[in-house]
Amino acid sequence: MNTAVAKTNSQQDTQREPQYQRHYMPNVDVLEDKDSVKIEVDIPGVDRNQVDLSVENGTLTIKAAPSYQHPEGFRAMFQEWIPGSFERAFQLSESVDTDKIDAVVKNGVLTINIPKREEVKTRKIEIK
Amino acid sequence: MLELTAWPRQTWSLFDELEALQDRMNRVFGERGYSYPSRRYASKRYPLMNAWSSEEGVTIDVELPGVTPDDVDISIMGDQLTLKGKFNAVPEKSDYAYHAQERPRGEFSRSITLPFRVDHDRVNAKYKNGILRLELPRSEAEKPKKIEVKSA
Repeated sequence: MNTAVAKTNSQQDTQREPQYQRHYMPNVDVLEDKDSVKIEVDIPGVDRNQVDLSVENGTLTIKAAPSYQHPEGFRAMFQEWIPGSFERAFQLSESVDTDKIDAVVKNGVLTINIPKREEVKTRKIEIK
Repeated sequence: MLELTAWPRQTWSLFDELEALQDRMNRVFGERGYSYPSRRYASKRYPLMNAWSSEEGVTIDVELPGVTPDDVDISIMGDQLTLKGKFNAVPEKSDYAYHAQERPRGEFSRSITLPFRVDHDRVNAKYKNGILRLELPRSEAEKPKKIEVKSA
């Protein structure tokens, strides 16, 4: 029993960082409203725990490696995309709060929400 | 064997036309050795597919990130497989300013010719992490039959 568990764990580890020959720059949408900046990244085939997000010196780096399995016993008819890892980096402005980054993966899309710092948010000034 | 139906986008754009032309040229001349469209522009107009076949059937993987599975319409007529749907890359709020807009949006439609007829009742479609896998078993009537050669 224990060995079976250990085996699945090691399989997960290898699935997590497969050695891909190809690296893609994923398609993104970058949106901004008065409170936050939102980055939406297309990473088809990637599960929540296969995404690696990091912020260093104001640079947000996205790394993702899908675990993709070819069907067994079949031969290729045509192949338009070759599985590979995704990687892209963004330079963040100083007006955003990097401590409050929030990220969600759903249906192969990573959505990163970065709130702006309180002091840079547009404030309404009341006229007395 | 492979037919593409590029759906017209909402607005005409010279860049889109040029991209489409380049895409077609790449296909014709087989640039980059083994020709496959770059993720960047091809996926804007139609979803990319990988297809495998065996004597038992065909398996097709379609890249469809950010698509609601219920919005995908899969139909088979004879040996024609058609996929229709829409990418929902439009935010729920409209007061966003865009700094980059690369992800596909709008409707797509794509048809391919299957190498044989499939058993409609046993077609299996699964959507996981933005990839749609279609398993299309070959219909029993079309499976190759072995003919024994008897010595005279």
